[in-house]
Amino acid sequence: MEDLLKPDYGVMILTICNFLLLVYLLKRFAWDGLIGALEKREQQIADDKRQAQQAREDAEELKKQLDDRLAGLSQEAAKKMAEAVQLGVSQRDQLLADAKEQADRFLAQAKAQIEAEKNQALADVRNEVVQTAMLAAEKIIRQQIDDNTAQQAVQRVLTEIKKK
Amino acid sequence: MDVAEIIAHHILDHNWGLSLGGFSLPITTHSVTLLAVSLFLLSTLAWISHARTSRAGRLLTTLAEEYITFIRDSLVLPNMGTEGRGFLPYFCTLFLFILFTNLAGMIPEMKTATSNISVTAALALCSGGVILYSGLRYHGVIGFLKGFVPSGTPVWLVPLIFPLEVISTVIKVCVLAIRLFANMLSGHMVLLCLLLIIFIVGKMHIAAGVGALVPAMGLEIFMTCLELLVAFLQAYVFTLLTAIFAGSVIHTH
Repeated sequence: MEDLLKPDYGVMILTICNFLLLVYLLKRFAWDGLIGALEKREQQIADDKRQAQQAREDAEELKKQLDDRLAGLSQEAAKKMAEAVQLGVSQRDQLLADAKEQADRFLAQAKAQIEAEKNQALADVRNEVVQTAMLAAEKIIRQQIDDNTAQQAVQRVLTEIKKK
Repeated sequence: MDVAEIIAHHILDHNWGLSLGGFSLPITTHSVTLLAVSLFLLSTLAWISHARTSRAGRLLTTLAEEYITFIRDSLVLPNMGTEGRGFLPYFCTLFLFILFTNLAGMIPEMKTATSNISVTAALALCSGGVILYSGLRYHGVIGFLKGFVPSGTPVWLVPLIFPLEVISTVIKVCVLAIRLFANMLSGHMVLLCLLLIIFIVGKMHIAAGVGALVPAMGLEIFMTCLELLVAFLQAYVFTLLTAIFAGSVIHTH
């Protein structure tokens, strides 16, 4: 059993040569290719990730700019809306004033026309009464009738006036 | 033949007795096992690195890349920093070489070469070489030697600290060899002992031997599973410690 700890220098040297040769050959024929491909892919992924990050930052910047622009547009739209409302109110007041003025004018004209027609009618009635009285007086004079007859005549004239 | 002899026979290396021009060649069971493992790794990995056309090839390539990523991100870079990138092929080879050498003992008619102190010492020497090379490459001879003396050490303590640190580094490398050797050897000894229990008890009485068969085989299966775990664990520990020691000479305190 003491041979367990007894070094065999031949095996030791052979193992060192074997292992170092294996390291060299594997590096030459396996690891260089595998590590190269792996690092190339990792570099590609890192580049893609960086580009994606850049694109995301650009998109966020653009979104911020659009948000600012949208906020400006909203403010401007609100201002325009207030101006339009103000204009509408002033136009409505103007229209109402014009309409009131026109209505007053029409009313005054109508009143004046009515007054004129009323005066005309009164003048016509007055002329008619005068003519009727003149006719009655003429008839009284022509017939020289008694009191009774005269009264009847006057009564009759008055009745005619009432009828008219 | 007593029990110790049986165990020694199964565990010890056997020289095949080949010689060349009167010089005895170190062609032993363990060295042949190492050669077989090397050829297997070389042929398999060389094929995998060029087998991207087939589906199985792509799958194996992905597995190999995952393995490289594991060695790089879990062992090399955390301990050696970016300076360790150049040593990545060494560590990738080291882990697989130790792992498959450990596992080779599970195959009938093959032996665990890492239960041979000469083999583990050779691997530890290679790792020691890597540690030495790392220090010399990044600090030069003077810088490397300065690294053995912690900063802030009083001048009068330097003659004491320097040899202690040098011995400490040498011991670390020796311990790499002994740890791997002892772990793999002990596992196989336990497996052999469990098997021998059946025969020893059976020699006393045949019925007792049959009775010992079931518990011994149960323990044997359990220990085999444990050996599988130990095979992975020891390969990992050896590679990790090499990276830590190499990192400690690159990034000196």
